[in-house]
Amino acid sequence: MTTLNPKKLITSIAAATLLSAGALQVSADEHPIKLGAIYILSGSAATYGQFAQRGIDLAIDEINSSGGVLGRDLQLVIEDSQGKAAVATQAARKLVYQDQVDVLVGLDSSGVAQGLVPTIPELQKPLIITHAATPDVTGKLCNAFTFRISTNVAQNMNAAAQIAAESDANRWTTIGPDYAFGHQSWEFFGTALKEISPDVELMDDTAFPRFGAEDFTPFINGVMDSDAEGVLISLWGGDLVNFVRQATNLGFFEKDLELMFTVGAATEVLSALGDRMPEGVWLSTRYWYDGYVNEINTKFVKAYIDAYGNPPSYNAEGAYAAVYAYKQAIETTGNTDGPALAKTLKGMTFNAPNGSVTFRTGDHQAMVSPNWGRSGPMHPEHGIRTLEDLRIFDAEKVSRTIAETGCSL
Amino acid sequence: MSGFGAALLNSLDIGLLLFVIAVGLNIVFGVLNVINFAHGALYMLGAYLAFTLMNLLGLSFIVALIVAPLAVAVIAVLIDRLVLRFIYERDVADSLLLTFALLLIINESVRMVWGAGIHTVQPPELLRGSIGIFGDTLYPVYSLFVIVVGLVLVAALWFIFNRTRAGKIMRAAALDRDMAEALCINTKLVVTGVFAFGAWLAALGGVVAAPMRAVDPGMGDKIIIESFIVVVIGGLGSFPGALAGAMVLGLIHGLGGRYLPEINLLLPFVGMALVLLFKPNGLMGKGANA
Repeated sequence: MTTLNPKKLITSIAAATLLSAGALQVSADEHPIKLGAIYILSGSAATYGQFAQRGIDLAIDEINSSGGVLGRDLQLVIEDSQGKAAVATQAARKLVYQDQVDVLVGLDSSGVAQGLVPTIPELQKPLIITHAATPDVTGKLCNAFTFRISTNVAQNMNAAAQIAAESDANRWTTIGPDYAFGHQSWEFFGTALKEISPDVELMDDTAFPRFGAEDFTPFINGVMDSDAEGVLISLWGGDLVNFVRQATNLGFFEKDLELMFTVGAATEVLSALGDRMPEGVWLSTRYWYDGYVNEINTKFVKAYIDAYGNPPSYNAEGAYAAVYAYKQAIETTGNTDGPALAKTLKGMTFNAPNGSVTFRTGDHQAMVSPNWGRSGPMHPEHGIRTLEDLRIFDAEKVSRTIAETGCSL
Repeated sequence: MSGFGAALLNSLDIGLLLFVIAVGLNIVFGVLNVINFAHGALYMLGAYLAFTLMNLLGLSFIVALIVAPLAVAVIAVLIDRLVLRFIYERDVADSLLLTFALLLIINESVRMVWGAGIHTVQPPELLRGSIGIFGDTLYPVYSLFVIVVGLVLVAALWFIFNRTRAGKIMRAAALDRDMAEALCINTKLVVTGVFAFGAWLAALGGVVAAPMRAVDPGMGDKIIIESFIVVVIGGLGSFPGALAGAMVLGLIHGLGGRYLPEINLLLPFVGMALVLLFKPNGLMGKGANA
């Protein structure tokens, strides 16, 4: 039995009034547009998620302080994928069903992307991938709601093959992480290189250490004892840091090898290594902060360094650009309806720090080129290696044709 | 042939580092009946403290080697007195849950204090570079140092357990705590001491690992899985077990990575499965049928 306490009743009414007044207040300038992000925020690769989050924060701050999108503020809800597909899938559902986000952005790992992307259509919200590079998500796993703003393995390896073909190395092998990314990098590199120079030998002796293997000495010795002339290295994050230091100890970099690091110019790794990253090796990145001369890039790099004290990584740039892509898509569409936004994004061209970018209609892959350069002297202020002989390729030329992707949209 | 020698040495340094870490896990289980999931996190704390002492405070590697493990041992005493002591009498599963919570707390604290970035620690000047031991095959000086540290610890631990009163008390407490107490041994002190000692070993492993492995927020999780494999292969709760398990896993990594790189991912688990099939209590474990 409930007794009606007059005092309590009055308090309740007062509270209800306040609450509804508050609600009115909110609906007057409309509730914020919610951006759901999924990145690796814990464990060895947490630094990647942190860079992405900073890129997003920066873009949201800029946009909100200049009037928001359709007069509404942007708001970030971020979840940790832990680098696991199952966790990321749960996070995506939580973001959409519980937090009611309007759009999704994220993904640091090819393995995560392969697991999550097939479930995106059921959520009816667009997803812009800013880092994960497996060709599959804009290939055989492509769907109407998934887009990628960063370069994929195919684009990066087509560019790598051109550089490799110009080098003196004729026998190539690889050291890469033992999952989709490492194996697909080698596969695409081999195919592309064979097409340019059919005489090149792709060795059977390859090394795919476990992701997070810690000790790469056995694999490094294996390559050093072989007669390889060129090595494609697709290790990343902490693995790459460990590899470079252990390889230095073993004299790996003193051998006359053509070395190509497919994600070596990630600033996360470069700042960890400092001058321990050897000079004169080929390093790639999806975006090099010093590689683009345009107003947006100048502003972005300056704002990023001012805010966080170090130059933006490709992951920061991808996440930053994705927020602006969504801004344009929402303004073009006029609302935040998921399927309508996905339609707008298809074929949309927008300006990003790395120039004018288009989500290709046929597979939703952004037409962008990787940045390859040779590691040069240390940057006097940023504490990382500079890139010399920077190569930025024609995106059309390094991208697969729609037929090659196996995507039908 | 020279390549094979280098691979063997490499197996030894991987194995001995694993031993230093896994033996702490094993001693703690033996005496406290606690499977310490947070052991890897303590290893990580050791590495981060070494990073702080050396890179941020500019102190030498020797200082880090002495100070960091002691600091972690002090933290372990606090953990034991504030949290763990409540569950000693309970089922092993409870300790697993509790120490897993500790792991999450330490992991998150490390990320809050030191950030998400990847850090590196340079080996001391004397231990940098590599030397040719097998003709033209180079071997890193620092890895030789790890081997020396590992061997010294193997000898020291053997001596402590078999030749000193403290070691005998530890073994007595492990065998029968009630009996030990009846013999006027302060088992509470022993238990806290053993937990701190286990943490000291983990952190020592972390300091030794820091100059050759990336210091990042995931390093503890990686090592704890390896340590569990060591314990399963070698046998839970035994000192020779930790040594045998660590050596087997070291060989699996060192030789497997060198000669069977295609299946290196599989090998540790194949080893573990084989041991579970034929020696369910581990190579050196005290079996139900032993």
